[in-house]
Amino acid sequence: MTGRPYRPEPFAAAVTGIGLVTAAGTGAEATWRAVCEASAAPSVPHRPELHDLPCDFMYTITGLDPRALLGVAAARLMDRFSQLAVIAAREAVADAGLDPSVWDAGRVAVVIGSAHGGLPFYDEQHTTLIERGARRVSPKLAPLTVVNGAASSVATDLGALGPSQAVSTACSSGTVAIGTAHQMLRTGACDIVVAGGAESVCSRLLIASACQLKAVSTRRDDPEAACRPFDVHRDGFVVGEGAGLLVLERPEHARARGAAVRALVAGYGAASDAYSAVAPDPEGLGIERALRFALADAGVDARDIGHVNAHGTSTVSNDLIEATVLRRVLGEHPLVTSTKAMTGHTLGAAGGIETALTVLALQHRLVPPTVNLDAPDPEIPIDVVSKEARPGTFDAAVKTSLGFGGHNAALVLTRA
Amino acid sequence: MSTAEEINTLLVANFGTDPLAIRPEVSLRHLRLDSLALEELRLLIEDRMGVDLDDVQLTSRDTVGQLVDAVHRKAAA
Repeated sequence: MTGRPYRPEPFAAAVTGIGLVTAAGTGAEATWRAVCEASAAPSVPHRPELHDLPCDFMYTITGLDPRALLGVAAARLMDRFSQLAVIAAREAVADAGLDPSVWDAGRVAVVIGSAHGGLPFYDEQHTTLIERGARRVSPKLAPLTVVNGAASSVATDLGALGPSQAVSTACSSGTVAIGTAHQMLRTGACDIVVAGGAESVCSRLLIASACQLKAVSTRRDDPEAACRPFDVHRDGFVVGEGAGLLVLERPEHARARGAAVRALVAGYGAASDAYSAVAPDPEGLGIERALRFALADAGVDARDIGHVNAHGTSTVSNDLIEATVLRRVLGEHPLVTSTKAMTGHTLGAAGGIETALTVLALQHRLVPPTVNLDAPDPEIPIDVVSKEARPGTFDAAVKTSLGFGGHNAALVLTRA
Repeated sequence: MSTAEEINTLLVANFGTDPLAIRPEVSLRHLRLDSLALEELRLLIEDRMGVDLDDVQLTSRDTVGQLVDAVHRKAAA
């Protein structure tokens, strides 16, 4: 292994609030219940705008009306990924028992990951440009489609006056955002960070590219069975939309206000493959370094990790390489799951959503099942929970994420 | 539908403007229409009413009445 992690004093950030908006459910509790109790994926609808593509389906959030929830005036200034972020942020802040009207706003930061920002609107407006000319292009394109749109929308909605920023490292963006928040709290730059990821990419342009790349499942006849992490018949990921945000606090700040602490973010590690634009390092050396750095940062022994919420995208190469690394670093004892068959692969939001689910797994000492894992790949050398949720006695857990471009990240979380 | 009614409808539906606040003497700034909103409104009016407002100067200091008059003149031209 190359590289040594920067090792400042140990620091554990308190997780005092979580907010989730996913295809599995609106709200943290609804999503948690769905991922633990489901024996099958939620409905994964065919999308008319994708009708002629090899993959024409996508995990979609239904029954959510952002204009009603946020108000027409506010909602019109946000692309959908930003709307989802604000809805999740409001839930997380309320869950933390924080009142934005009285907090020290200058000490509140926002860090939100997204891979593609407002790509669907970009896609739509590009069609407008081609078909109707430049004079019909919306002036909102430039300010709303930027990747930092979610961070600025959340900061505006909450009145958070500390630093706010986007993190964009493809599919590890949400995890890197939480790791960045951990570092900001450690340095004392702020007392509270609202951090995680948000994504909504129902874009014909993007899905066409993903199809050309052969990265997505083409199981058009059975979309609910298409995302099947660690299954021998997996054939690619299935895109989903969603947002997952955490409220992280300096532990003394949480203590001083008597906040209930759900769990601790004890360590963070990140490392690059420096290998390929799309493929992970064949030996998984990047995610291995990230994971070892996170363990060292947390001061947690690999033997004490009882649960992993894996990246588990349902692509042939990711699942095999990631599982091999998990076995190599952690051994065979952790209860591993991928919750993507319930949420879809939400790209830049995935790390935020799955870290929130890892927090809940630690709290409940319960590991959600990997839905659609009917025939475990015999090459996968780890204990993947399937069929039904499995209880455990673990006190520490890991969240791993890998992103296009070789961006690997890992978090170590512990029980409060 | 009159020009004023068309603009009222667009403001309420797209900007969440309180219909009771939309009066001829009220400034667009008072309705919380900033420069971005004004350019968005310009496109919406053009699409809905089939007029070209490209050479119409719009600022937040203008009133609802001035906007209606400007659009009305273009529509009648």
